[in-house]
Amino acid sequence: MKYILLMSGTRAGVEGYRAWPKQDIEAHMAVLHRINKDLTESGEFVATQGLAEPRDAKVVRGEKNGLPVTDGIFPESKEFLLGYWIVDVANAGRAYTIAGRISAASTNMPIEVRQFATHEANPR
Amino acid sequence: MKYILMMSGKKSDFEGYANWSKEDIQANVAFMRTFSKELKDSGVFVSTEGLGWPSEAKLVRAGKDGAPITDGVFPESKEFLAGYWIIDVESPEQAYKIAAQASQAPGAGGKPANMPIEVRPVLSGHADLGL
Repeated sequence: MKYILLMSGTRAGVEGYRAWPKQDIEAHMAVLHRINKDLTESGEFVATQGLAEPRDAKVVRGEKNGLPVTDGIFPESKEFLLGYWIVDVANAGRAYTIAGRISAASTNMPIEVRQFATHEANPR
Repeated sequence: MKYILMMSGKKSDFEGYANWSKEDIQANVAFMRTFSKELKDSGVFVSTEGLGWPSEAKLVRAGKDGAPITDGVFPESKEFLAGYWIIDVESPEQAYKIAAQASQAPGAGGKPANMPIEVRPVLSGHADLGL
């Protein structure tokens, strides 16, 4: 079963992270790399991706003529996706265990665990 | 340059979608299929995923002993990721143009939904973090 583990944070949270000492950031990244390596070795790794900083984020809507309308203003409370891991695991409990490991490595940040859309899992 | 285009909504938006007429949902799904095919044909497609319903979402934190603590209670205002596309394009403008197409997917009544699509550059590696 495939799950996606989502790490999110506010702009203030991201700025706080950037203010960490270099050694702390390196130690954090080293644990995340270790987790990726373990997932690869256990055959549960599907994909991972980090996103660029919230300041580069835009919201786009289509106008009547199909031209994009961009906006870069977000409420302070906005939770930005920082990155994700996709894992293919035997059960939900295993996905939660991996999410717990990522959380422990990342100042106990909450990690959102979601299934993928399937016709069976969703209404209709 | 790789960009991620994200579609999100509140739990009530998801419930609203589930209540669309069958034809409206079919038109929306048909649009999404064509859209993905066009991205593939034009060579900018990297990946796409649709996520499951917010009712299945859990929030996980590590407890003191490292064991996961799960919680399924979210504020009503919580924006849930509904799905995303990753594209590899020449410029941010091209990413915005493609996001505008996704925004115009047909909604209830078959009219363009003009949903907001969040566009973000994705990191290609460690160096992007400035480390």
